[in-house]
Amino acid sequence: MSSWKTTVKADRWVKPFFKQYRRALVLALVLGLATFVFAGALMFTSGYLISRAAEMPGNILMIHLPVIFVRVFGIGKPIFQYFERLTSHDWVLRMTSGLRLKLYEALEGDAIAFKRSRRTGDILGLLAEDIGHIQNLYLRTVFPTIVAWLLYFAIVIGLGFFSVWFALAMLLVLGVVVFLAPLVSALVNGARNAKRKAMKNELYSELTDNVLGVSDWIFSHRGDEYLARYKATERAMRNIDASTERFSRRRDLLTSAVFALVAVMLLVWSANMFGGAHGGAANWIAAFVLGFFPLIDAFTPLPAAATEASSYRDSIERLGELPASARTEGDAVEPEAPLDIAIDGLTFRYPGTNRRVLDDLTLHIAHGERLAILGKSGSGKSTLASLIRGDLEPVAGAVTLGGVATTRFGDSMARYIGVIQQQTYLFNRTLRENLQIGNPRATDDEIREVLGKVGLADMVAQLPEGLDTLVDEAGMRFSGGERHRVALARVLLQDVPIIILDEPTVGLDPATERALLETFFETTRDKTLVMITHHLQGTSMMDRVVFIEDGKLELSGSPADLEQTSARYQRLLAFDRGTAIPV
Amino acid sequence: MFLHAFHHVAPFQIKCYYIYIIIGYSRMSTSDKGGMRATLCFRDEPEHLRQQPRDHTVVQSMLDKSVFALPGIKRVLGVLCAFAACQALCVIGEAWSLARAIANLWYGGALGDQLAWIALFFACFIGKQGVAYAQDGFMDRYAYERADALRSELLHKVFTSKARLVQENGTGSVTAAVLEGVDQVETYFRLILPKMCALLVIPIILLVVAFPLDWVSALIMLIAFPFIILYMAILGRTAKEKASKQHRTFQIMSNHFIDTLRGIDTLKLFGASKGYGTTIFEVSERFRIATMKTLGVATLSSFVLDLFSTLSIAAVAFMLGMRLLDGTLVLFPALAILVLAPEYFRPIRNFASDYHASLDGKNALSSIRSLIDSPDGTPSETPISPWSDESRLTLEGVGFAYADQPTLDRISFTASGLKKYGIVGASGAGKSTLISLLGGFCAPNEGSVSIDGTALPDLGQSDWQKQVIYIPQDPYIFHASLRDNIAFYHPSACAEDIVRAVEIVGLDSLVDELPNGLETIIGEGARPLSGGQAQRIALARAFLDSSRRILLFDEPTAHLDIETEMELKEKMLPLMEGRLVFFATHRLHWMHDMDEVIVMDRGRIAGQGALADLSASNESFAALAALTEWSEVR
Repeated sequence: MSSWKTTVKADRWVKPFFKQYRRALVLALVLGLATFVFAGALMFTSGYLISRAAEMPGNILMIHLPVIFVRVFGIGKPIFQYFERLTSHDWVLRMTSGLRLKLYEALEGDAIAFKRSRRTGDILGLLAEDIGHIQNLYLRTVFPTIVAWLLYFAIVIGLGFFSVWFALAMLLVLGVVVFLAPLVSALVNGARNAKRKAMKNELYSELTDNVLGVSDWIFSHRGDEYLARYKATERAMRNIDASTERFSRRRDLLTSAVFALVAVMLLVWSANMFGGAHGGAANWIAAFVLGFFPLIDAFTPLPAAATEASSYRDSIERLGELPASARTEGDAVEPEAPLDIAIDGLTFRYPGTNRRVLDDLTLHIAHGERLAILGKSGSGKSTLASLIRGDLEPVAGAVTLGGVATTRFGDSMARYIGVIQQQTYLFNRTLRENLQIGNPRATDDEIREVLGKVGLADMVAQLPEGLDTLVDEAGMRFSGGERHRVALARVLLQDVPIIILDEPTVGLDPATERALLETFFETTRDKTLVMITHHLQGTSMMDRVVFIEDGKLELSGSPADLEQTSARYQRLLAFDRGTAIPV
Repeated sequence: MFLHAFHHVAPFQIKCYYIYIIIGYSRMSTSDKGGMRATLCFRDEPEHLRQQPRDHTVVQSMLDKSVFALPGIKRVLGVLCAFAACQALCVIGEAWSLARAIANLWYGGALGDQLAWIALFFACFIGKQGVAYAQDGFMDRYAYERADALRSELLHKVFTSKARLVQENGTGSVTAAVLEGVDQVETYFRLILPKMCALLVIPIILLVVAFPLDWVSALIMLIAFPFIILYMAILGRTAKEKASKQHRTFQIMSNHFIDTLRGIDTLKLFGASKGYGTTIFEVSERFRIATMKTLGVATLSSFVLDLFSTLSIAAVAFMLGMRLLDGTLVLFPALAILVLAPEYFRPIRNFASDYHASLDGKNALSSIRSLIDSPDGTPSETPISPWSDESRLTLEGVGFAYADQPTLDRISFTASGLKKYGIVGASGAGKSTLISLLGGFCAPNEGSVSIDGTALPDLGQSDWQKQVIYIPQDPYIFHASLRDNIAFYHPSACAEDIVRAVEIVGLDSLVDELPNGLETIIGEGARPLSGGQAQRIALARAFLDSSRRILLFDEPTAHLDIETEMELKEKMLPLMEGRLVFFATHRLHWMHDMDEVIVMDRGRIAGQGALADLSASNESFAALAALTEWSEVR
């Protein structure tokens, strides 16, 4: 519970929104309260109505008022409920828009490093879902609980007008279901929930892991072994479930005893207060007793709601861990022509690690040069690309573009360097919108010209809605090569002097790769081109080839020179062409 | 719902998304068992829209055939109806005793004389919950048993049969079926069956009691019931129509946010990320307005249900008042009816509130059943003797077609003895399909396969597969210790053999680097391995299990950097000695080490023979070879 308190205290994502759209919020809560008040009032007046009628006052006018009230409450209750639903959803959706903006802004400042530092898992998808969980927290826990509290106080205050002592007794007895039961449930079942959730997550990753490797299980005829293991975990989870369920059942039985007690108390109290004679004041007995029953529905969901709240906790915590709003405005930088890239004595390690990904690396890339950076996976090639773009800060040494440290550029770097990544992300929007990310003001003519350059003109012409086709439309998918061509078109529209290709051809077959590389080279003739790669395809087209190994520069020279002078390069080249068998 | 989402996504795509699925689903699984009772539920798309009654009315949907096929269901439904009847009796007792007590007090009776009635009321009120207690416990056990049986059947099918459920339905779909699907079915049984029985039993019993008390009120209640169901069905359909009209827009808008977040680094690279905050807010607000419009219609059905039940109560109260007024009725039956009326409508409200859970459960049940009932691969096993120097494998006119996958077009060849066959060709030429066929992962649609003259329907035979080691582009590494991963095919391998395997495939530097050596947990969610390391583990597996004499490689080095490929080649070649090898690749340099090369072109074999012959005369081969020559491009 104390850790819950810290979670609530540290929370920047749920509480602030109570202050926004306050009128809609108050309206939703008032309507929620009114729903129950009217439901109770319907039975209250009905009870009074028939008691009064049973006196046979002889004239229908004598029960005229209660009859009107019965109608008003009967119609009013569902209407209030209807509008309560609409208002509360509307409020939650408004809040969601705010939350999304807030999340986006929290991530935007440091987006590239953030994504890079969390390699496994779709952390961004996770965060987006957390917002959905907060919606549920409001609709399923916060609203019902507040409405029930309001109703509870309304009942106690209302009864206080008749009898202070009876109101105090109600305060205590109903307090058991309003506060005690939810609290105990959250403590007991909340802990079980957390444990169950952890187990379920584990089961999930384990099952996915083994389903992905299912052909190995079948091939090795060892499937039954895994099934036995799975079942053991599953049983353990079932045991937790069973005890959760048992607790809930007992709790529900006890709370229903409390409700029965409240009904009996009302009966006894009203009998003492109004009873003793035939009819007359005794009409109120039925009213008070019957009026209570619809209110039970307001209180019963509370314990389950409180239990459920615990499952939203890690969503709130995960969001809470995000930076407040790390907006890094780049300085107004003016790099000087020529736009040479100078890397001097560059050392880098990721925060919290010891390994030097790059170690005292020096490399100068002249404007207009075409450079291939080769290296094994994990040798620091892509890290170098991020450093050149200024997305990472060197631990030692400097990276400058046109004489200005690249980290100072901020967003204005997009005017100088374009990047084509290993995985091209296409937004699920129209092709035009995807391309206009490169240049929002690009006209259709410009777009078509660029599409022609990257060899997509025919393909786009065949699309059902041309540039307005959604890129993820069912049945229409871009192949790996085509995605990269779209990425290239985007970068060409961006019209930058420097382009970094970050292993853009991994996983493509040689024919596709070759055609793609040719297009890359043709369309970027007057630009600086830095190609990061792990094999030799295309390196012969470059002005210079460098090797990075263990964070250091190992080999550097023009492909022609290296072919003459470097035994290592010769060996790789021979291996690649299959002309010689390496030893 | 989730189960269907993956059906139209090709299996290979699912592999890329599985991480998202693991976490995505585990996040969705948060709603605890207690929480499922809450009536309101909200994700991006309004629940009311997604799960409105489709072509069913509430009544039709109760009579779901697959439910009646469950073992012991008749007994369970019987017990549930008995529980419902007990609850109805408790409600009657509650109404009766309360009405008696109030009526007596109204007539001026002393409170002390009402103690028996009050006690009865108290007992009935708690008794009602007591019945629910027993019923929940009963259903909890039954639902778990049924769900567990279903899960066992499904897992058994996935992990031990040749039905290839995972390959055909995708990882996401199968795990979702096992975890989410079975849970939904369990919820369906646990919550819906009792509510269904309550809906059928309780109103009838209450009506039976209400008629003698006051037939006019009972008639009002009776008439209201079908009206409620009818109106809900009509409104449900209207809302559904409206929702499906807007569905596309809804989807685009609701995905907009997550799409933007996933591509946030792309936006940043183009310096376009700042402005997108406003776009996100605007789209989200547009989404809200559209949602609210639809929600206005969608929630109408629950409004109508509510309106009918409260109006019925109001009408009952009014009619009771009128007839009390003219003396045709006395207070006690009127009060009893007034207490009974809300209880009469309660079962249908309870049922409606969990209607979406019931739809999800039903869909999940039929999806799981169809997975379990899918055909089981090859039933007939033909004995095949261990592959030797003299063995011959012959494919004749073998064809394979699969929707939008590379096909094989009547190919024929013979592989014999312990030779190495290289398979080359452009992508889409059918290399992988041929390897799949040789591994028995798929069966030919036409043509014949035979080993040493024995005809086989396909190569999915146990006797064949237990001789095969299959090494794909990305061998799967389990989340387990390095030792368990290496010894996967040979769990009883002794420590020395494993150490030797580690040395031979060049994993020793990895072992040194790992904190716990061979016992370190690797794989997804633990220490990730590079592609080269994964390939080495696959090779170590092959090395450990020397009884497997047939090696199938499907582009094993496609993802690797050239130096790693070079190192691995040195390790691989010795392992291929004394085995039958099929090696599919784009990388032609491997062909120098093969005994024969098979050139594939658009599903056909365009040439077969020694490398020297092919490179001299085969056009398809020459076209492939030209791709590696770059000098003339410059």
